[in-house]
Amino acid sequence: MQLFHDVANHIECQPLNDWRAKNRPVVGYTCSQVPAEIFYAAGILPMRLRGIETDGMDIGDAYYGPFICSFPKCLLQLAGKGAFKFVDGVVITPGCDAMRRLDECWRKAGEDYQGIIPDFFYYFDVPHKAEGHGMEWFVEEIEYLIAEIEDHFSVEITDAKLREAIAEYNKGRRLLDEIEAIRSAEGGTVSGTDMFAATIAGTVMPRALYNAQLEQWLKSLKEQPPAENARKRIMLIGSITDDVDLFRLIEFGTDAVVVSENLCFGVRSEGRPVDEAGNPIGALAEHYLGESACPRMYGRHKQRLAVLQEKIEQSKIDGVIMQNIRFCDLHGAENALFEKALEAQGIPCLRLEREYGPMIDKGRLKLRINAFLERLGRRRQYARSN
Amino acid sequence: MRAAIKEYNYDWLMGSTLSAAAKFPAGTEKEIAWAYRYIPYFKGIVKNFVDLGPPGIYFMDLLAEYYQNILDAHAQGKKIAATTFCSTPVIFYAMDIVPLTFEVLTAIGAMVWRRGMFDYMDYCCEVGMPETACSAQRGALGAYLAEMGEDIDLVVCDTPGVCDTNANAFVFAAEYLDKPFYQLNYPSTIGDSRSQAYHVKDFQAMIGFLEEQTGKKLDYDRLAESLKELEAQDAITADLEDMLMLVPTPIPPIYTLMIYAGRFCFAGHPGYTRLLELLRDQAKKRMADGIPGLKAGMEKLRVLMCYIDHYTVDMNFYNYLEERGIANTGSILTRNFRDYNPYCQALEGSCYGVDIATPEAMLETVAQMNARLPMVRSIRGPYDQHGMWLDECLALARLYHVDCIIYNGTPGCRNTWGMVKPFARDVEKQGIPVHIMNDDAFDDRVESWEATRERLDEFFTVRGLL
Repeated sequence: MQLFHDVANHIECQPLNDWRAKNRPVVGYTCSQVPAEIFYAAGILPMRLRGIETDGMDIGDAYYGPFICSFPKCLLQLAGKGAFKFVDGVVITPGCDAMRRLDECWRKAGEDYQGIIPDFFYYFDVPHKAEGHGMEWFVEEIEYLIAEIEDHFSVEITDAKLREAIAEYNKGRRLLDEIEAIRSAEGGTVSGTDMFAATIAGTVMPRALYNAQLEQWLKSLKEQPPAENARKRIMLIGSITDDVDLFRLIEFGTDAVVVSENLCFGVRSEGRPVDEAGNPIGALAEHYLGESACPRMYGRHKQRLAVLQEKIEQSKIDGVIMQNIRFCDLHGAENALFEKALEAQGIPCLRLEREYGPMIDKGRLKLRINAFLERLGRRRQYARSN
Repeated sequence: MRAAIKEYNYDWLMGSTLSAAAKFPAGTEKEIAWAYRYIPYFKGIVKNFVDLGPPGIYFMDLLAEYYQNILDAHAQGKKIAATTFCSTPVIFYAMDIVPLTFEVLTAIGAMVWRRGMFDYMDYCCEVGMPETACSAQRGALGAYLAEMGEDIDLVVCDTPGVCDTNANAFVFAAEYLDKPFYQLNYPSTIGDSRSQAYHVKDFQAMIGFLEEQTGKKLDYDRLAESLKELEAQDAITADLEDMLMLVPTPIPPIYTLMIYAGRFCFAGHPGYTRLLELLRDQAKKRMADGIPGLKAGMEKLRVLMCYIDHYTVDMNFYNYLEERGIANTGSILTRNFRDYNPYCQALEGSCYGVDIATPEAMLETVAQMNARLPMVRSIRGPYDQHGMWLDECLALARLYHVDCIIYNGTPGCRNTWGMVKPFARDVEKQGIPVHIMNDDAFDDRVESWEATRERLDEFFTVRGLL
């Protein structure tokens, strides 16, 4: 577990350094809709880019306008400061408008800050629909990406290698699924903080090492006795976060535990295993586009709500904390719709707007979270007394 | 929202206001002068259009008709589709669907009412939309979320891949009001065979959705009629564009608004052809008489609005241009990207042609035209890729002999705010001064018009332009 926390809390970490020490390439990517298996199949370490450890915003603010979410600004800040100089490539996707403009802002910053643009700088065009021609487009995009990687890194990505990569990634998905089952069960012994650190680590660590670590963790969890059952069971959803401290804020010093989440860096992005039998590119497309739970996939709100409702029931959630980064309208608006539907069903919800970054509004958030937990506490008392 | 505001059906209120305004010029000069005393809060905007003569008066008529269509739709057995200004109404009219465009209605309300669209914008936030969402939709949408307008039957949005906040507002509307939803989704490239084919497939699927919702098949004969009308409209627009390139131009600053607002509401409709004819004839006469479009009679400066105009109360922005002697050569909204326009030569692959020979050709025509409407053409994909926002603005700046480029938008426009600074730097490298306005085109509360005006003056002074 300590390794997961080390990886989750630092951009440069031991597994990454060990990989690079053997002169193996690393490619950074910005969105959960990029199939990491492709890189694995090419002998490249895929690393999800994170905005942690940012200590200023001068570069982010210089290229981006003022009305932009602070997550891509942090990525640009780190890029400008050279924090990603070690990567051999970057893949940028149109996850949202602000994220897709990272393409131009990073390239333009590269005119002013030497050496911050890797040789492989690729724009991966992900459609907003998974039906028919949307899926066809995405399959082609994967094929183009593969061709570009093969060309640039002088590698060959065969179907066999892709299948091998899918199997390795699926192994991790199944392990996470088992751990998630323990976490969400009553008497679960997994904290939200640990689980989130583990899923973030999965976006950075070499998959074989990651799987081995998960296996160890799962083994130790199975040996633990069930935990006391009285903690308030929280679900955390909303805008992108790769900051374990957000979970700590809810769990540390409180009687709450985050037993489920629906976050881009969370376990939801692992999803169900990718089909290992059919065409590997089609299977990856179906998984990364067809099963995407991101609100950028317009017109699927009801499906996403249904997934939440199912999780809430399965995990016996007491309350849902919905957060969005300021200027993240996709999650801001969807949270409102979720809140309307869930509160109507008697599920308490808390909506929070925040900045991305090193918990700059920690005090304000803590105050509101504590008040929400009080609300849940009173609700429990009321339920017991009736 | 205040109870008093909820007393009035929003569509009826706006339709009645515009309809009354359109009747205004029927009086004698003396009657009109007296009547202005009774409408102190509307005088600013009404006078602007009345003073323009036949095109201005007809424009008010057309807008009143737009509202009347919405009000009459259900009684006539038609469905109302909430849609965007980036979506051509041609296909809706051909299918007997009444389009209702949030952005157009917000702009009208913002210009007409002294209190702007604030109450409606804020209502959207009351029911959960983020305050950072684009004000262009939040205005009129608030009225429909509050059930103060006609009942929307379906939502068709064509901004996914182009503008998240826009698409998100339409998704929110569909979910909140529980209406069927279709999205046209745009890839990041344009003009290549792959994206061209994608546009058509996406559009075909949309027609399937509309047919399912209305229970009617697309009438290709009717579509052909609309496209013939569109041919005529594109030709007149090209004439107007030619005159816009003249220095000085005989086109007044407000014309560009009328050209695009008319197109968003009535493309393919004979009423829009009539409006364009009136605009062209008046401009031609001015050109023949050697009179500039600006009321002051002298053109001191030429600006290109690289995004949108400013729409708050009384059309202050257009009046400002008039006062300062600044010719408005248009914005991202003005151009239609019909292939024979001079600017299309510089933007290979970015334009569309009209072919009505077969149903397939018509479908291709409308799909490609739709893909070249504002935003969906210019600000998809990287701004500096061939033929996109940067190339487009530089080509227009050269052709229209502009002295500077001005960016104006809304804080909700994540897409342009994500790239406008590098864009401005690239444009400045070409020797063209750029001013980035920090206001909200639809909401004076973000920055008062007085502050906006001062910043514009400061820019023109500091850069030695005026």
